Amino acid sequence: MNRRLFLALALTGALSAATSLLFAAPATTRKSNNPKAPAAAPAPQAMITVNGVADIDPATAFGSKSATVTMEIFSDFQCPACKKLFTDTTQKVMENYVTTGKVYLVHRDFPLPMHAYSRVAASYARAAAHIGKGEVVDQALFQNQEKWEANGDVKGTVAAVLSPADMKKVQALVEGKTLEPLIEKDKQLGQTVPVNQTPYSVLHTKNGQTFPVVGFVSYDVLKTFLDQLVAQK
Amino acid sequence: MMQSAPFNFRRIIIWIGRIVLSGIFIYAGYAKLFRPDMHPRPPIPIAISLFALQIDSYQMLPPWGSLFVAKTLPFAEIAIGLLLLIGWQLRVWATLITLIVGGFFASVLRAYALRLDINCGCFAKPEPLTGMTVLRDGALLLLAVLMTVFAFQEARKPHPWSASTPEQST
Repeated sequence: MNRRLFLALALTGALSAATSLLFAAPATTRKSNNPKAPAAAPAPQAMITVNGVADIDPATAFGSKSATVTMEIFSDFQCPACKKLFTDTTQKVMENYVTTGKVYLVHRDFPLPMHAYSRVAASYARAAAHIGKGEVVDQALFQNQEKWEANGDVKGTVAAVLSPADMKKVQALVEGKTLEPLIEKDKQLGQTVPVNQTPYSVLHTKNGQTFPVVGFVSYDVLKTFLDQLVAQK
Repeated sequence: MMQSAPFNFRRIIIWIGRIVLSGIFIYAGYAKLFRPDMHPRPPIPIAISLFALQIDSYQMLPPWGSLFVAKTLPFAEIAIGLLLLIGWQLRVWATLITLIVGGFFASVLRAYALRLDINCGCFAKPEPLTGMTVLRDGALLLLAVLMTVFAFQEARKPHPWSASTPEQST
């Protein structure tokens, strides 16, 4: 009886393994045969939770996870106020608070429907972030906002700051649409805040306080606020 | 005879203005300092800095100006609101409140006209700046102006309860 049971179990196991191989093999073949498939690009990382803030894509987050303050910025690449916030404020926050481990900065995509190319820009920026080139592409998109807003050449703007090999990976991710659910997730999260305009920042402290900061704010005023939040016990 | 009646039209407007505007000012100052909309409530210095960020989003003042206004305005609102309610030196506080409400209205109107993507920080709690916000602030300005003008007009006459009127003396 025992031998029969052992044989039955072994047979079931072998069948299961064969079945999974049979179904897995064509998928692998399809991936390798399709030049546009995102095989060359790394697989998206799992979402994480930091400081009580859930659904963070680690590719678009910066700083120490143990930072006192977590700052989410809901942003649209085609929005002028978002550009101003990025160039005048966020970059200084990165230098003085994120690199020093005081603030964990989370970029959230919130492409507004009224902007024709903001969704495309978000797709390229997200893809670049997933190959470790997020900062350089974010900077290029914001700095050349007026240009690609006029001619719609988001791809050209991104290609200008990436190597051909990196651009190929980014293009594969954009065309594969594997990162689109992450952008959609950010947008859904924004709607629950609710984000009614961009930029819209939400600051979270370790003791559970949440502070919405709406619109563009200058670095000096934000600095005063961040210093107080960081000093809080 | 009508002008010396204790409750003529002007005095009713003055009383409505005093009650409504002092209530609004005291609540606006309190809300900015104590943030009843937030749970847990932040300490006052943090609430003030958060208000400074709201002022800063209007892009009308330099950063130091936003911080200065945030540190002084909530306390000034409570103090002026109380003084207006008490009625001591009414014309002074009514004029000051009219100037402040006029300033708020100009800021809101400018931001609305420029379509600035900001929230009205009027009562600390973020609220989208809409046409209704402009109308509300405009109505408050009208009330403040009427209250102030009537307060000056009434001050030229003897009070009906404290002084004898020309009709009574003759």
